[in-house]
Amino acid sequence: MTPAVAVEALTVTLGAFRLGPLDLALAPGELLVILGPNGAGKSVTLEAIAGFHRPDAGRVLLGGRDVTRLPPERRHVGLVVQNFGLFPHLTVAQNVALARRPANSASAPPTGLPPPGDTAAWLDYFGVARLADRTPQDLSPGEKQRVALARTLAAAPALFLFDEPFSALDTPTRDQLCEELLAFLRALALPAIFVTHDCNDALRLADRIVVLRAGALVQNAAAAEVFRKPANSFVARFLGVENILDARMIGMSDGLAMLAVGDRTLRAATSGPAPGGAVRLAVRAEDVAIVPPSDNGPLAAGGNRLAGKITSVRPLGPLVTVAIDCGFLLTACLLAREARAMQIGVGGAIGARIAADAIHVMPD
Amino acid sequence: MHGSLNRAGWRRAAPSLPLGLYLVCWFIGSLLVAFLVIPLIALVLSQAGASLAEVARMADVRDAIALSLEGAALSAAFAALAGIPLAYALARTTFLGKPVVAALVDLPLAVPHTVAGIALLMVFGRQGALGAPLQSLVGLRFWGTLAGIVVAMLFVSAPYTVNAARVGFEAIDPRLEKIARTLGLGPWRTFWRITLPLARRSIMTGVTLTFARSISEFGAVVILVYYPMTAPVKIYELFLRFGVEQAATAAVLLLAVSLALFLLLRTLAGGAAPRENR
Repeated sequence: MTPAVAVEALTVTLGAFRLGPLDLALAPGELLVILGPNGAGKSVTLEAIAGFHRPDAGRVLLGGRDVTRLPPERRHVGLVVQNFGLFPHLTVAQNVALARRPANSASAPPTGLPPPGDTAAWLDYFGVARLADRTPQDLSPGEKQRVALARTLAAAPALFLFDEPFSALDTPTRDQLCEELLAFLRALALPAIFVTHDCNDALRLADRIVVLRAGALVQNAAAAEVFRKPANSFVARFLGVENILDARMIGMSDGLAMLAVGDRTLRAATSGPAPGGAVRLAVRAEDVAIVPPSDNGPLAAGGNRLAGKITSVRPLGPLVTVAIDCGFLLTACLLAREARAMQIGVGGAIGARIAADAIHVMPD
Repeated sequence: MHGSLNRAGWRRAAPSLPLGLYLVCWFIGSLLVAFLVIPLIALVLSQAGASLAEVARMADVRDAIALSLEGAALSAAFAALAGIPLAYALARTTFLGKPVVAALVDLPLAVPHTVAGIALLMVFGRQGALGAPLQSLVGLRFWGTLAGIVVAMLFVSAPYTVNAARVGFEAIDPRLEKIARTLGLGPWRTFWRITLPLARRSIMTGVTLTFARSISEFGAVVILVYYPMTAPVKIYELFLRFGVEQAATAAVLLLAVSLALFLLLRTLAGGAAPRENR
């Protein structure tokens, strides 16, 4: 099956910055999130797909159509930016009416949607018809998002591009708009690429996540896989993994990898790299189970049992994170209610358990 | 309680200064404002309505004022026509020597206007590098003509349009232009529908300043052209021939006309300015 969007070996040079070679593919209706720190090349990627940067090499295909040499106005991509980029000198209706209906749209509009170019119908579809004569400055962020979506869709795009639309919003508004956007995108079944440096946005929206660093692709996988199995410590840190441990591979035992961390040995469910090799381990704080120091109950097959001293306790509202010195520093996370019941306090002795499949082994 | 709530419910804080600083700023500021306004008020008060009407009926004074307005309007139009593309290029592109070009645009502001007049005479005069061939090829003459007046006015006043328009273009988020492109508008339509309207207020301010500066230009015009006389040249001539009384009456007349036009243009330029989209 032809992917809805394909980026093949795309290379872009902008001054000293170099992006790629980058390969991406989106299935119809798939939502891809490009995640990375500032300067990773996320926006450049988006703008290259939209046609604002001439690539040194590579191709961009939309619905099988090679658009690499087309200017932005002939590519049929929709762009939504931070603050939604409504034209301040035009009313809501004029903003939507500005979109030019392509003479021969590459993709037929999905059923149940207004025809491209029908301003009133699109405003109605997004429930903002009553705002038609307002100016963008008077709109709430939620209303701006709906107008921006109506405007973009009225131009019949084959692909949606979002460049950090939420980055200037407060958390509750962001959560609400994120949910709303996701619902619309699912209903529209258009492929979309969403750029962000916020891993929460990424995990909430993405079917697939691409992680960029300094213009190079670091990982390209399903969202759940990027979350559970980050490709390296850079991705793990970016996705907020609390425990990233330096370790050395000892060997295999009972189908589990034996890994030396400080003077302790941890067992991880992985086929593992060659013995003697330096690796890094990613362990999420919520996968570290806190148990009483006297813990000697039965251990699940391949489990790890650790004991140590609490060095710090940090309350986070409903949660508490606890740092434990057990030969190496380990961060655990538990419910505030549980922490109170166990009388967690700095200096106290404590036990911890980590399942073998909760330890992810990374090459670096 | 400072600030007010707008329709969307966001609070806009009013800027406030500490009281001492506030008073000092106002005291010093009002001295400057008084210095700027008092001479003009004194000039206006010195004139009786009767003598004003008498001068207004003098054909040569009326012609001079009309010529000034005509020349200034043409100068403003040329400044807009050539200045807007230059301003956009300066705002949106980077190129080798861009600071030099930006400095060259500002140069006429630093050149004494009599010096500008002499320099223009070298180029547009009877034996000038452009003046001589243009005269012999297309019959365009810059001495003793409106064309010369416009050239002199444009030279000293064009920077206002270029600089104001450039600031206006720089203030536009380039992503708005990019969105317009993805909506199917080509680069030219994007410029006409998005960029130009968003910079309209700044451009109008610049053109207004160019127009005002053109009306008031004396030094460059008097050296390059002299006849026919623009209003400032005419006032100078009245001053030399009949003294300050006659000159002052004509001066008040020019002041009234140019202030009225300036205020009108300022009002037009300020209308319905798009606010920053947040």
